[in-house]
Amino acid sequence: MEKQQNVLQVSGLNVAVKSQKGVLPLVQNLNLELKPGKILGLVGESGSGKTITCMSLLQLLNQKAMHIEGSIQLHGRELNGLKEKEMRCIRGKEIGFIMQNPMNAFTPVYTIGNQFVETIRIHTELTKKQAVDLAIASLEKMNLQNPAKIMKMYPFQLSGGMLQRVMIAISMCLRPAVVIADEPTTALDVATQLQVLKELDRLRTECGTSVLLISHDLGVISELADEVAVMQNGRIVEKADVYRLFDFPQHEYTKKLLQARPVLPVNEELSKLVI
Amino acid sequence: MSLLEVKEVTHSYGSSRSFWRSAKEEHVLSDVSLSIEQGSCMGLLGTSGAGKSTLGKVILGLEKPQKGKVIFQGQDLYTMDALTRKRIRRDLQVVFQDSYSSVNPRLTAEKIIGEPLENYEKLSPAEQKRTIADLLDMVGLDAEDMKKYPRQFSGGQLQRISIARAIALKPKMIVLDESVSSLDMVNQTNILNLLNELKSVYGLSYLFITHDIRAAYSISDSLTVMEKGKIIEVCNDKNEVFTSQHPTVKKLVASILPEHPRNRTISRGKSRA
Repeated sequence: MEKQQNVLQVSGLNVAVKSQKGVLPLVQNLNLELKPGKILGLVGESGSGKTITCMSLLQLLNQKAMHIEGSIQLHGRELNGLKEKEMRCIRGKEIGFIMQNPMNAFTPVYTIGNQFVETIRIHTELTKKQAVDLAIASLEKMNLQNPAKIMKMYPFQLSGGMLQRVMIAISMCLRPAVVIADEPTTALDVATQLQVLKELDRLRTECGTSVLLISHDLGVISELADEVAVMQNGRIVEKADVYRLFDFPQHEYTKKLLQARPVLPVNEELSKLVI
Repeated sequence: MSLLEVKEVTHSYGSSRSFWRSAKEEHVLSDVSLSIEQGSCMGLLGTSGAGKSTLGKVILGLEKPQKGKVIFQGQDLYTMDALTRKRIRRDLQVVFQDSYSSVNPRLTAEKIIGEPLENYEKLSPAEQKRTIADLLDMVGLDAEDMKKYPRQFSGGQLQRISIARAIALKPKMIVLDESVSSLDMVNQTNILNLLNELKSVYGLSYLFITHDIRAAYSISDSLTVMEKGKIIEVCNDKNEVFTSQHPTVKKLVASILPEHPRNRTISRGKSRA
């Protein structure tokens, strides 16, 4: 019964790359579960295997060069080893993906509208007009002004923050069960960053989507996550409730991460106000 | 006298006039003035598109402003003769955000750091090698890393090499344009600590350009906030930024991410418990 409640259940995930020198493990014995409407934060320094983990959840890694073992279950359905054709129905429809760099996530030769409608029509039976309406409605929800105009624009005409919100709109408009957000705000400036985080939070309260939030910034994690998993060298070294992790870190590496936070007087003042 | 003085600098891009349209002037910088003292660090804050990087380029002498003066060590950067310029170049260094594109991929770390030394110092090969090894040691890298190429380093390590190159000639001032923004938190803190240390050892001055108040606060003595090409707030004491009344500064301060989940601003049932 316990297992049924999890939207996404990853158990015993091992990813290794085959190289000339032999097999090099990237992710080792990784267990994760995403509960409905919850945000799981995944932290770790660069090169600790965060991105590889989410690429393997979506089966986006090159199967010939990589070795993926273990079970990835979405609503009890095994994803590891699914055929490419079946996987395509899941990507975008059931698992949304928000990439780190919005500039590289779009094709520069098609308009935003073209790419948006394509995603919608592949997964639904909507007519072109209905798809356009849905796209405009979801852009509007993302606080983007004049969505009809944005639909006719090309990716390079929008700023990074706007594109990132367009990408969230695309990944959320089909109400996926899970959204994987890989460093969604790293490329953005601070004011836009908070706005994007707010949108993510709003969508998960409205649609009940579970989010796997990957970041190296503990600020992002403490703002949004319910649970946190800390990764180091391809392993999860600690997993706890976000409050517990910040108050009582267990693992050496977590303590080191927490110490690396810049300390501002404003945070202390704020905490005084709250308490 | 201040080390660097920027006086009423105005600059704009793309003012191309043609037969069909009159020149459309959109100022990237309008009437910007600031001064930096020897041995102090000024944090330059602002959202993207505020003109921070353009100001950085103007200060480095890379972008001639349309109006105004940049005075470094009592000399105007844009009217000085070539010889003075060459002399002053060694005292004014830069570290950019993207470390991979600011180094030549075909040179080893030794050559990268050795380039400014070859231009200015005229050391014997053995001395130069020793200097480079010392510099690498100072930024926390191994002397053996000398033989490696940029692609063999991680982003954080390469950023350290850029810093080693910048401090090779013991300059008076370094412009740090988003130098730590692309690094992860642990690397960021390491590099900020390193910069702080170098500042106290050599009496370096920094212009620290960033959008992240957290990083700027931990290294700067004073903070300056820009918006749309204008300086909107100058805080000689960095703590003043938190009590500023300017709406844009308030917004910047409000979007600082919390260091603990109990301070989260996105309100939810469970938060603020």
